[in-house]
Amino acid sequence: MRILPALLFIATFLLLGSIEASADTGPREGELFAEQQDEARTDIDRAPTRDPGRGQPGESEHGESFDEEDEEPLRIVDPFYPWNKAMYHVNDKFYFWLLKPVSQGYAAVFPEDVRLSVRHFFDNLAMPIRLASSLLQLKIKDAGNELFRFLYNSTAGVCGLTDAAKADLGIARKDEDIGQALGRYGVGHGIYLVWPFLGPSSLRDTVGRIGDRLLSPVNYIDPAGTSVGVTLYERVNETSLRIGDYEDLKKSAVDPYLAIRDAYLQFRKKKVSE
Amino acid sequence: MRRHSIHALLIVILLLEAAYVGAASSALETVKGRVGQVLDLLRDPSLKGPAGEMSKRERIRAVSEKMFDYLELSRRTLGPHWNKFMPEQQLEFVELYKSILEGAYIDKIMSYTDEKILYHRENPLTEKTVEVQTTVVTKKADIPISYRLIQKAGDWKVYDVVIEGVSLVGNYRTQFSRMLANDSPVGFLESLRKRSSTS
Repeated sequence: MRILPALLFIATFLLLGSIEASADTGPREGELFAEQQDEARTDIDRAPTRDPGRGQPGESEHGESFDEEDEEPLRIVDPFYPWNKAMYHVNDKFYFWLLKPVSQGYAAVFPEDVRLSVRHFFDNLAMPIRLASSLLQLKIKDAGNELFRFLYNSTAGVCGLTDAAKADLGIARKDEDIGQALGRYGVGHGIYLVWPFLGPSSLRDTVGRIGDRLLSPVNYIDPAGTSVGVTLYERVNETSLRIGDYEDLKKSAVDPYLAIRDAYLQFRKKKVSE
Repeated sequence: MRRHSIHALLIVILLLEAAYVGAASSALETVKGRVGQVLDLLRDPSLKGPAGEMSKRERIRAVSEKMFDYLELSRRTLGPHWNKFMPEQQLEFVELYKSILEGAYIDKIMSYTDEKILYHRENPLTEKTVEVQTTVVTKKADIPISYRLIQKAGDWKVYDVVIEGVSLVGNYRTQFSRMLANDSPVGFLESLRKRSSTS
């Protein structure tokens, strides 16, 4: 009885999400353009406002033509805001109560160089994700680099424990994933979603993440318990190299939930465009 | 005699340096110069201990005053809301915002030590704005940081910093817009005031 309306509710929002998704990419390009135009315009407008404390207060300030200004922030629909906000709090506690202390303990035992090697190892292992995502976007050169990096780092880089391809040959890793590939083809985020333990995402990037997981060798470790354990270990190792980042983000924010959501959108937009 | 010539040489060098700084007209050179000043302060061995740290902090703040155009940064952050503020409210906002930014970033900057900075190129955005692309190379990661600058009266000033694709102005704009959607400039400034007095 009670489940039906809930399902309808979800279905409606998913639909809304996909509508938003298709409308998402077009205007965004336009927005970018608008922003650039606008910067040109504000240059002309600026003269009277160089110092609002001086000069003719009031008049010139309010005479400025901001009405056309379209420097709107990146938008995303957030119909699951109550859930997302709750999960934001869950993740916050998860980080401070569990992930951070465990990672700090781990970092106290293993020196940074070891942890960097572990990171390189997992990065190398995740090659299929980047390869497939590059190929999907027809980025042939990137795909070639990825394959080459894998072969080079797995041999000269001692089983991927060092990033020799970057250090010796200057061929750096390029972050690619399925979510970015989808974005490249104009698939919008749909809706914003915060997953417990995994953090900020969107409908598109959740689909992408499932794809990434299916492409990740770690997913195929048998038994499944070990696979989960390895994943958790990778997370602890990564966190140990990033302690302080989340704290800084939170500290600088006026509204941490919105700051993280916006940072996520901006970050992903950049990744898709690269 | 010899001492005199050394003095003369020093004066010439200083003058040349002053002339060079005065002529440093490209945005990239400006960023390089300012960031270089901060790095010099961070590496200054004489600025140790609590008193040294305090003076280091003050001097970094002084560089940031010269490097950033806080008015421009504030105006772009508030966007269309800017005009809803009275001139004195705008001024107060600039100060409050500045203190939020300083509070958020100065510790981070103070914690830098041996990072290498690569200066890549400057891309024109509009006639008077450019983006200077840099990378901060640390042992753990390469962090792309772009500075957006605007030319005013011949000087280049930073009005936005983009870290890993995330624009500072854009990020705060999202947060402030939400606050201003539900609040008047008076209430908004009040909550910013409260925030800066508690943190």
